[in-house]
Amino acid sequence: MNRTSRRLLDLAPFLLFVTVLAIFGVQSPKFLESGNLVNIVVQASSTGIVAVGMTFVLLTAGVDLSVGAIMFVAAAVAGKMALAGWPLPIILPVMVAVALMFSACNAFFVTKVRVAAFIVTLATLFIGRGLGLRITETRAMNLPDSFLELGSARWLGVPLPALLFGGVLLVAHLVLTRTPFGRQVFAIGHDVEMAKKAGIRTGRVLAAVYLISGLCAAFAAMVSLGQLGAVSPKFGEQKEFAAIAAAVLGGTSLFGGRGNVFPGTLLGALLIQAIENGLVVVNADPYLYPMITSVVIFISVWLESLRNRTR
Amino acid sequence: MTAAATTNHKPQTKNPLGWFLSEYLGLGLTVLLFLALAPFTPGLATSNNLLNILGYLLPLLIVAIGMTLVMISGGIDLSVTSIIALTSVVGAKLMTGDAGVPTIVGVLTMLALGAGLGALNGAVITLLRLPAFIVTLASMMFLSGFAIWLTQSKSIYGLPGSFLALGQRLPISLALTVVLALAAHLMLRRTVFGRWLYAIGQNATAAHISGVPVRAISTAAYAASGFCAALASVLLTARLETGSPVLGREILLDIIGATVVGGTSLFGGKGKIAWTFFGVLFLTVLDNALNLLSLSQFSITITKGAVILFAAVLDAVRSRFVVRSS
Repeated sequence: MNRTSRRLLDLAPFLLFVTVLAIFGVQSPKFLESGNLVNIVVQASSTGIVAVGMTFVLLTAGVDLSVGAIMFVAAAVAGKMALAGWPLPIILPVMVAVALMFSACNAFFVTKVRVAAFIVTLATLFIGRGLGLRITETRAMNLPDSFLELGSARWLGVPLPALLFGGVLLVAHLVLTRTPFGRQVFAIGHDVEMAKKAGIRTGRVLAAVYLISGLCAAFAAMVSLGQLGAVSPKFGEQKEFAAIAAAVLGGTSLFGGRGNVFPGTLLGALLIQAIENGLVVVNADPYLYPMITSVVIFISVWLESLRNRTR
Repeated sequence: MTAAATTNHKPQTKNPLGWFLSEYLGLGLTVLLFLALAPFTPGLATSNNLLNILGYLLPLLIVAIGMTLVMISGGIDLSVTSIIALTSVVGAKLMTGDAGVPTIVGVLTMLALGAGLGALNGAVITLLRLPAFIVTLASMMFLSGFAIWLTQSKSIYGLPGSFLALGQRLPISLALTVVLALAAHLMLRRTVFGRWLYAIGQNATAAHISGVPVRAISTAAYAASGFCAALASVLLTARLETGSPVLGREILLDIIGATVVGGTSLFGGKGKIAWTFFGVLFLTVLDNALNLLSLSQFSITITKGAVILFAAVLDAVRSRFVVRSS
């Protein structure tokens, strides 16, 4: 493969993004209005935050399929507490605690028992969904207005969800690029055995990565609660696919060791949201959404493997 | 990789852990479970209920057989439930209405569609060298979305009686399942195809160097899995008398769980049809007993999630233990 096509592949997420904007922009002028573009960023925040956590996991050559279920359980607990009259400053930390408990479970089985990550997190996905349905008794819960206010609040003119997304992105970027921990994450993804021989405590780093993913899921659940104002039985469903797709679209390798949250995962999350938003703006058949999303995931994985092979 | 490479022979049974690691674990667990629960569970040991268990077991076993082949080759197929749903609605669409095709044509179309979709999965995985779980995850989403779009999420009724008999007459479904299981068993034990499948699962690179047509054989395993899913879809669709775009959606975990509980390794290179049968038996009895104990659907989902985790842990422990002892 020559240099031009390699550069094209590296730029693929960016090119895809521009193409999608152009296609929907031509179909409907409303799509490119600044109000709608801000909307895309705000709507992308919850998926984007999960995708940042997912990027950490993917960088170590693992995967976390349980993030959507973790969001659901955290939101279900939050909903119950909110309806029972607990104040927000108590509910939010509890959501974080619930999510961390779940991801600690993932971390334990992946690092101590050494079970394949996708099977552990597939199991916790089902356990979490079952648990969440049990807590909510399969009914939708409408939350007090305080949540919705939080979701539509602005600080210095920036919507709070976007601000949280930005914050998570900034911290994650700094951790990955400027800290020893970040370098260890990359090292493990490149080659676990080598990392071990180099003296990295791989178990600890791996455990931390799943905890980070759980923490991000908790933040994403907060954002989603603020935007939806309700917990339905479908809360967070298939979020894991969107998150993996966003990370991989942004150039993170499924085989570990390669990728970044900025600009990669950010672009990936915006791209996915832009497609969904665009489909709504042009009044596409809602039944087509899952098919289009899966095709996008597939293309992103394929592009990623092409990139991988050129190195 | 070294773990998978050394685990094909029978685990030693002299160790106290031996029974736990032996190939009859699934069967042993089923018997234990049955004996433990029978006194407390009204109606568990009645002949009516046992027939009921059998009716639920057959389609699950059929899909699990396909999954076993794929797992032996070191892959995984998450798209089976969506193949079940899609073949169900396509078959039902063909066989109902005024221009309905004869049952035999409908069934053959379903089977061909299933095998074709499986082959497509396999071709994408092997030709583009993508991870099996992400490819089949994407096709799971796509095919399920396609089935729902095709029917606008409505179920299809009015299937011909000759088709319904396939799922509702126990001797017919039993015969179909037994023939498939025997064929798969013989193919694994007695044919070059079977040897190659194990070889690929143990070490694909080594198999390739030794002249095994790795891509064709892996693709064939996914095609077989798609075929099995379609056959299960025939039984399920006929039993429910409905072509449903969400058919089988809830049994993915059962399929993987049953296969792994039986002893087929997620790392490839190890597995048997008989093990899968034991695993399916275990999971079906568990499910049935939990239902009879009138536990809520959520608790059953949670229990099954726990079971698959347990199975995966067992698999990891088993492969590590066998490495150490050999």
